[in-house]
Amino acid sequence: MTPTTLLWPILLPALAAVVSLIIPSRVKWLREGISLLAAAGVLYLGFALFAVKNLELRVPWMGQGINFDLRLFHFSAFILLGLSGFLFLITLYSTAKMKGHPRIREYYAYVFLSAALANGAVLADNFVPLVFFWEGLLVTLYGLITLGRKEANRTAVKAFIISGLCDFCLILGIGILWAETGTLTLSQISVKPEGLAVAAFILMMIGAIGKAGAMPFHTWIPDAAIDAPVTFMAFMPAAFEKLLGIYLLARITLDLFKLEPGSGLSLVMMIIGATTIVLAVMMALIQKDLKRLLSYHAVSQVGYMILGIGTAIPIGIAGGIFHMINHAMYKSGLFLSAGSVEYRTGTTELKKLGGLAKAMPLTATGFTICALAISGVWPLNGFVSKEMIFHGALESGYWIFAVAAWVGAIFTFASFLKAGHSVFFGPRSEENPAAAPIKESPAPIVIPILILALLCITFGVANKLPLRTFIQPILEGHVPAGETADFTAGALSVFTPVAGISILCLLLALGLHFFGWKRGGKKAYLASEPVHKFPGLHTIYDWAENRVFDLYEQGVIVLNGLAFVLFKGIDRPIDFVYEKVITKTGEAFAGLLRKAHTGRYANYLAWCLGGLIVIAVLINALIK
Amino acid sequence: MIFLFIGLPLVVAAFMPLIGKISKKFLPDLLANAVFLVLLVLAATSGRQLIAGGPVLQSLSWLGEPVAVQVAVDGFSLLMLMAIALVTLSAGLYSVNYMNHYGSKANYYALLLMMVTGMNGLVLVTDLFQVYLFLEVAAIASYALVAFGLEHDELEASFKYLMLSVVASAAVLIAIAVLFGATGSLSFAGVAEGLRGLNSKFAVGACAALFLMGFGLKAALIPFHAWLPDAHPSAPAPISAILSGLLIKVSGVYALTRIFFNVFGLEPGAWLSQVLMGLGIVSAVLAAFLAIGQKDLKRMLAYSSISQVGYVVLGIGIGTPLGVLGGLFHLFNHALAKGLLFLNSGSVQQATGTRNLDEMGGLAKRMPVTAATSLVGSLSIAGVPPLGGFWSKLIIIIALVQAGHGILAVAAVLASVVTLWYYLVIQRKAFFGKLDEKWKAVKEAPFWMTAATVILALLVIGTGIFFSLVIKTWIQPASDALAKGF
Repeated sequence: MTPTTLLWPILLPALAAVVSLIIPSRVKWLREGISLLAAAGVLYLGFALFAVKNLELRVPWMGQGINFDLRLFHFSAFILLGLSGFLFLITLYSTAKMKGHPRIREYYAYVFLSAALANGAVLADNFVPLVFFWEGLLVTLYGLITLGRKEANRTAVKAFIISGLCDFCLILGIGILWAETGTLTLSQISVKPEGLAVAAFILMMIGAIGKAGAMPFHTWIPDAAIDAPVTFMAFMPAAFEKLLGIYLLARITLDLFKLEPGSGLSLVMMIIGATTIVLAVMMALIQKDLKRLLSYHAVSQVGYMILGIGTAIPIGIAGGIFHMINHAMYKSGLFLSAGSVEYRTGTTELKKLGGLAKAMPLTATGFTICALAISGVWPLNGFVSKEMIFHGALESGYWIFAVAAWVGAIFTFASFLKAGHSVFFGPRSEENPAAAPIKESPAPIVIPILILALLCITFGVANKLPLRTFIQPILEGHVPAGETADFTAGALSVFTPVAGISILCLLLALGLHFFGWKRGGKKAYLASEPVHKFPGLHTIYDWAENRVFDLYEQGVIVLNGLAFVLFKGIDRPIDFVYEKVITKTGEAFAGLLRKAHTGRYANYLAWCLGGLIVIAVLINALIK
Repeated sequence: MIFLFIGLPLVVAAFMPLIGKISKKFLPDLLANAVFLVLLVLAATSGRQLIAGGPVLQSLSWLGEPVAVQVAVDGFSLLMLMAIALVTLSAGLYSVNYMNHYGSKANYYALLLMMVTGMNGLVLVTDLFQVYLFLEVAAIASYALVAFGLEHDELEASFKYLMLSVVASAAVLIAIAVLFGATGSLSFAGVAEGLRGLNSKFAVGACAALFLMGFGLKAALIPFHAWLPDAHPSAPAPISAILSGLLIKVSGVYALTRIFFNVFGLEPGAWLSQVLMGLGIVSAVLAAFLAIGQKDLKRMLAYSSISQVGYVVLGIGIGTPLGVLGGLFHLFNHALAKGLLFLNSGSVQQATGTRNLDEMGGLAKRMPVTAATSLVGSLSIAGVPPLGGFWSKLIIIIALVQAGHGILAVAAVLASVVTLWYYLVIQRKAFFGKLDEKWKAVKEAPFWMTAATVILALLVIGTGIFFSLVIKTWIQPASDALAKGF
């Protein structure tokens, strides 16, 4: 394989995007067919490149160390494979779910363009092409959100501004790092986070976790869950953005900077991770809409990854990265299931659903497996990666973070018990708007869900396989000398204290759910009400629902106020000077001059003679 | 050969009423425009080679005997001939459609050709009395043309124009007589020679004052301007274009400049320069404010002419080579742009029947070519890059700053801002905005009218973009000729 092969994962989806734009909207199936073929081609490339693993393409570009460098190694190959896999599943799903969308040409174009840009960002070995691809994703992010309902434009702007802010931080960080190291090539950089490099680290970290959707950069995600197409949710926030953000975060902490366990920066990351876990899951618990509930979990789970990587301990980092791929699988599966429910019933509101397990058994199975996986139930993949993160957190010496993670686990399971119970079990809701009898969704929708559910089981039961093929090579060179990077030992054992506590947490969640369910008159969607109505918590929840903690919304309010003050205090007075003072003075002056023009011949003649005299006197005075 | 510029229009003008008996419209149209075209080609092609070796002097001979009529062409004359030919040709083409409803076309063209004779003669002659002669030829033709519509307003305006203009002519004649008495010569060179040996500065000062009043009135400098806002709007549009674009510059600015530079010898910073700059800036600023207050499109343009002539006099009055260059370039730009705008005002008036800006609105939708060319002309005069007016104003302002007249430079910029203001008012009120219900049926002007405006608009744009070329080939020789003298 020649190095130019590395261009294919970028060019092939870009070409597919252009083709999709060209095909007229009326043509049926051709676009879907070509898209599937292209996605399959990219998936094949993903496997082929994963088999090669080491490939470099270095093209001089703008000089000054700005080169178009692409580098394939085990980590980028692994992410590339993940991205292409999700691209294929989402495309397959979209052929049914997005059929007949009025802007279908744009949809496929954005999806494939996102894939091209994401592949480019992962392969880039120079910061300038990296930023180029990374920023390009902003455009497709914006475009994809606007494809949703009418109100989506506001959310699209919100997502664009928040992500743009994070990307700006990333660029600033890169700039500082460039000044510190003098190179833009990623593989040549390895600095200790000291002095200015600390600022660079924090700024770049904001860029990475902002992309992944950690708090406080998450607020557009729950809005997008309602406004944007559900395929977008499964595609971007659930899969692509997690893979990219966590990939960059791992590169920053592992390669670019040498993060020491127990250092201040490690602590900062762990705090961000733990806060994100707890706060987001608390929000998820009380949601009344399945998609919105899932979106808060998409935020909460990022906390685990950041916590894991932030420990700077090999098992924690490995857990974080493993959690990233696991999360992408089950969260994508969950969003796709929500989409499947929406496809048949037309809603995702919990109280309008219920008892769908009989009508949609395959969707229900997929959802249940994915939900159990995200809750960390033995022996699914979520259990394995969460255990690794718990171990990492405990080893770091700050047991409080492990506690936070466990609290997160309790509420995660509780909220999924509530969600699954309300949607698929219990009695049918009478408010269900769907008139026709509900049946299972078509194959293109069900197959991706089942594939993802199957992967969740595989990565859990046969955890040695993914851990050894994908995760451990990344950490080679990062474990202390003499130790082997093997995290598979005892991955599924339940008789350790850590696993014991985790299982205890799950039981607690079960109890909480049943308590709430009973209190809510055996209505599953009310199961979270005891927590929601808990004294003290209730006010905070109200504030959160009113977006008091949403920095973007608060920023908008502040800026609107500022704009108002500036408008009234500065713009209007200046405008007054132009509009009133100057024009009125000018007009008054003009009016005065006009009055002198009476149209009388004698007047005009007098002026002429007067002018002659004035000039004569003037010349007399001036002439020497 | 040089006499052709005077003789050709004169002879054709003489025969025009007779031709009118044969053909009411076609032949007069054809013949008059052919004459304008020939003059343009002559000025553009042969003129520059003619003066390549310096100014050319020719005397008229009659049956072998020399007659005391001499004409000369130098860079300055040639620039004026070129401007006259360009604007008259456009106005002539425009008249083909426009003058159809105005009665006798043959008489109209006869008068127009007469006026061209007067203007061409004025820029070619070499002695003071002939200046007076051709001044009157052009003026008398213009009185008749202003009154050509024979309505009440037009007759009144024409009469007022006539009555003020004869005062100016008288002032000029007195000054010429005094100079003749003092020096015993009438030719520019002879008078200049005579004045050098003469120790009578107050007589010279009095003559200068009379010339300033006489030519200042022709050029409509404030306070001698009052006839212009009545006379120019009253004339038919192509005549307005020639009056504002050419006549005030030829019989006012050209004559003044020629006499002050080549006879009196204007020194930068000396008394003549100061008086000229004073008159220029007062006109430029006051007339700009006067223009704001107008509701009548053509009156607004007329006041704008006063203001822009003020600019030209200001530039020439600085007396430095750069100032003169800027002034002459602005003269050329203003001739093209103001001619264009008056032609457009005629198109609008013919289409809507009104000149009141408040009644118009949204005409750009119905008259796109007129609106577009009008925008070009407006922006050029208002001094928006890259059009010609921007460069000439810039040169004048730079020259002012270089000569140490900072305050005048600021005032000139202020006048320019006010100019932009009222030209935007014209564009907004007449062409932009919502189309009024009553102008639904308005149509774009006929072919020759739009053709004439498009030609001028292209010239305005071309002059702006290739300004350095235009300055090198046409303006610089004119400025050099003034510096050298005859």
